[in-house]
This record gives sequence, C-alpha cells and structure tokens, in this order.
Amino acid sequence: MKTRTALAALTLTALALPLAGIAPATASGGGGGVRTHGGCQGAAVWKLKAKPDSGRIEVEAEVDSNHSGQVWDWTLKHNGSVSSKGSNKTHGASGSFSVNRRMTNLSGTDHFVFRAERRATGDVCRGTISL
Amino acid sequence: MKVLRNPVLQFLVASLLLFGLTWWGTERLSQSAAREEALADARITTQLIATSVAEPAIPRGLINGDVGAIDRFDRRVGDRIKESDSDIRRIKIWRADGTVVYSDKTKLIGQQFELDPEQLTALHTQTTEGGLSDLRRAENQFENREGNLLEVYTPIKSPEGENLLFEAYYSIDTVQQRASQVLTPFRRISTLGLIAILLLGVPMIGVLTLRLTRAARARERLMGRAIDASEAERRRIARDLHDGVVQELAGTAFALSGAAREPSVSPAVREDLVTSSNALRRSLRQLRSLLVEIHPPGLNAAGLPAALEDLTAQASTAGMEAQVSVAGLDGAPDQVVTLVWRVAQEAIRNAVRHGQASHLEVDVRGDDRQVRLTVRDDGIGFDPATTKSNGSYGLRGLQSLVQDGGGRVTVESAPGAGTTVRMAVERG
Repeated sequence: MKTRTALAALTLTALALPLAGIAPATASGGGGGVRTHGGCQGAAVWKLKAKPDSGRIEVEAEVDSNHSGQVWDWTLKHNGSVSSKGSNKTHGASGSFSVNRRMTNLSGTDHFVFRAERRATGDVCRGTISL
Repeated sequence: MKVLRNPVLQFLVASLLLFGLTWWGTERLSQSAAREEALADARITTQLIATSVAEPAIPRGLINGDVGAIDRFDRRVGDRIKESDSDIRRIKIWRADGTVVYSDKTKLIGQQFELDPEQLTALHTQTTEGGLSDLRRAENQFENREGNLLEVYTPIKSPEGENLLFEAYYSIDTVQQRASQVLTPFRRISTLGLIAILLLGVPMIGVLTLRLTRAARARERLMGRAIDASEAERRRIARDLHDGVVQELAGTAFALSGAAREPSVSPAVREDLVTSSNALRRSLRQLRSLLVEIHPPGLNAAGLPAALEDLTAQASTAGMEAQVSVAGLDGAPDQVVTLVWRVAQEAIRNAVRHGQASHLEVDVRGDDRQVRLTVRDDGIGFDPATTKSNGSYGLRGLQSLVQDGGGRVTVESAPGAGTTVRMAVERG
C-alpha cells in the first residue's frame, strides 16, 4: 500500500512540474551577495541576485525569454509583503527585462520572492532568494 | 618695577586684557546665539521635511510594520532626505507607544523604547521640540559614533490618521559653523578696533607721558627753588634774630642780674630786677626754641642730640619733664637725620599742645639697616579711629612727611593712656 502511494506521489510531481512550467532553482553565493536562477513556464528563464549595499539589500530580478516585445507583469515580495510591482516589456537581442530594487535590511534573514506573469499567455516565472 | 609704572606699558596691558575679555565675551555670546539660531533652523527644516517629504510618502501599513510598506517608504524618502542639503544624520518615525516604525537605520525598525518627556510633549501638544541628544539612551545606540547631535521632533500623521512623531538628528558641527559665522564679524570688528586704538593710543599716551614727565620735572625744580628761597629767608630771619634780638635780650638779662647783685639796691628793687631777669631768660629760651624751629642748626648725626634737646625746651617750658636719648646714629645720612628731627618736632609739638603730659621721652636708635625714633608721652591720649575720621591735619602731615622720606610711621594712643609715635626709616 505504501509503495503504491509513493509511486502515485512521484507521478503527480512529475506531471505537475511541467504543468507549472517552473524548473528547480539553483543558488550560489559570493562577494557578499547571493544569486539564483531557474526556468519559467514556456521557454523563458529567470535570475535573481541579492547583495548588501550601504545598509540596504540590492535585489535584481531578470527574465530572459529570447523574444523581444513580450509584456510581463511582475511582483517583488519582501518577507511575504509586496514591496514593489510593475510591468515591463522584453527588449534587445536577448529578449529580456530586469528590475532593480533597494530593500530595507531588517533584523534576521530577509526573504524575497519574485513573480512574473506574461500577460499574453499567462506563463509564470517564480523565484525566491534569501539574504 | 619701574617698567611696570610706565603708562604706555600699562595702557598696552590694559588694552590686551580688554581685548581678551571682549574675545571671550563675544565667543560666549555668539555660541549662545548660534545655538539658538541653529536650533531654530533645525526646527524649521524638520517641520518642512516632515510635512512636505515624509508625511505624504507614508504608505498604509507602515505603522503596523508591513515590510513592503517600509521598503516603499525607504525608497521614496531615504534618498530625498539624504540628498537634501540639511545635514540630517538620522531620522526616526515613532508611534505613541514608543515603537520605531521607520528609521534610516533599519535595525531600529520595530524596536520599542520609552519616549522621553520632550518627545511626549511634542506628540501631545503637536509642537516642534528639540535639544542636544542624550547619546546614552538605548534609542541612540547607533548614534554614538556621530559625536554630539542635535535632535528635533515634530508631529505627523499616518494615512490611517494615527499621530506619529518625526525625529531628525543633526550634527553639532552645524552649530559650530553657525557660531563661527556669527563670531567672525564680531572678532573682526573687535580686533580691528583694538588695533586702531593701539595705533592711535600708544603714541598719544607716549606724548602725554613725556609732557607730564617734563611738567613734573619743571614743577620739582620750581618747588626746589621755592624751598631754597624759603630756607634762605628762614636762615636770614634766624640769623637776624640771633645776632640782634637774642644778643640784646641776653645782654639785658645779664645786666639785670648784675644790677640785682649791687649792694646798694634795695630789696624791693632787687626782687623786681631778679623777676625781670628770669622773665627775660624764659623769653630767651622760647626765642631760641623758635629759632631752632625756623631753622634747625646744622642737622647731622652728631648735632641731632643737641637739636632734640632744643626741641624739648618748649616741653620743659610747659612744665613737662623731657628726656632725650640718641644712640647708634654715627654715619647716618643727613636726610635721614633731618627726617628724624622733623618727625620728632611734629610729635613733640602735638604732645605739648594737646597731650597735657607730665613726662616726655624721645628715643633714637640706629643699626646697620634702620634708624628708629620713638616719642612717648604719658598725656591724656586720644582715640586714633576718631582722629583719623576727623582727618587730623597733624597726623596726616606726619604720615605724609614720613612717606615722602621713604619711612613708616605708626601712632599708638588711647584715651588716658598717653601717645607713642614710632617711626622707622631705612638708613640708606
């Protein structure tokens, strides 16, 4: 019984990940900052960077879809609260856009969540980073 | 010491002292004025920033510690305040319960401290308050390295309508700069004024001093001449009296005594002649005393005992027993001997005129350094305090005489206890 339940769970996960279009993120640190990246639904990828800056935290989010002119609505949350949100259009040969925001450096670890949704298709990018 | 009596030097020293006092006074006044002005400036700046920058930018949720609201407020306000030319070192926004809802030092956000009385006053009376920061307070734990700070509080409102307190910290350097701005013109004026006074005053004082010195020398010369003339006149009068009247009286007294001894003279006439002869001798003694007063004969150390004896002749005439003793005066300068004689003369005259004494003692003692005179009587005495307040001419004259001669004089007396005059003068 237990074996069947485990197999069912693995199958659901394998199906759900492509449906959500979100690939597992990989994170790395260095130079006092951290960075992470991952895949979005569809062909796009996202990148997140966070580093201390004069008593604040500089957070940079980037979505790279390889297609210029796509409109994305995005939200940046800090410890679960919306710190900033907006819309951007991909541009350039890489078909990307990036967002830079300065965040307050509160006591303890600060958690950031970036979510971007392509307006035309509903494709979602979602990444988290902590510093 | 002579240098210190120089009027030009005295003027310079007085000017420098005045300058120092002016410098110190302007420093204190300008510091006080600058502190007031800097505080007033800080109040105005704080009110302006609080109402025109901070209050409109406060998002909903900031008072409840919403992190996104804190980020948004920090991005909107932090840079604008730092970019403003207001020298603000720190800002804090407080709730009435002492919670810091925002500070550019983000570690303070969410912490709670007890509000001090000034903060509570500003919050409750909706006024702007300020003063020097107490950096020992826990809320100022991050301001310790900033040096002295000025803190100003002013009330603002959150979008939810809650009363908040906006607090801004300023560097005390601003106060020092303001003080310097206020002080510099004062110092310039006072320094230039003093230099002008010195440039004008020193030559004027120098010229005046020169004139006064010349006038004083001329006056001294005139006085010397007047004294010489007076001395010559006294000498002439004394010589005329001595050579004329005294000799005549002495001869007459001698003749009367001789006539009284004639056997052919009747007893009644003899008695008249003797009485007349004695009266003439008394007059002769008085006249000699007067001659000594008018012109003391050859005053020197050797002649002083005789001169003092002559002075006491008037005391003997007044019925007083007088005693003179002189010792250790060999080689004493004439001016010292003259001073001793003049003081003795004044003291004896006072004793005879006012003392009603029966005994008078004049003692002169000299050693290597000093000559000391003591004139003591056993008369009715007097109260020196009363006499001083009445401004006795005799005593003042005595003091003046001794001071001019470079000596010191004391007068000891009490009612019924006689009078003692002591004088000491350097031997020179």
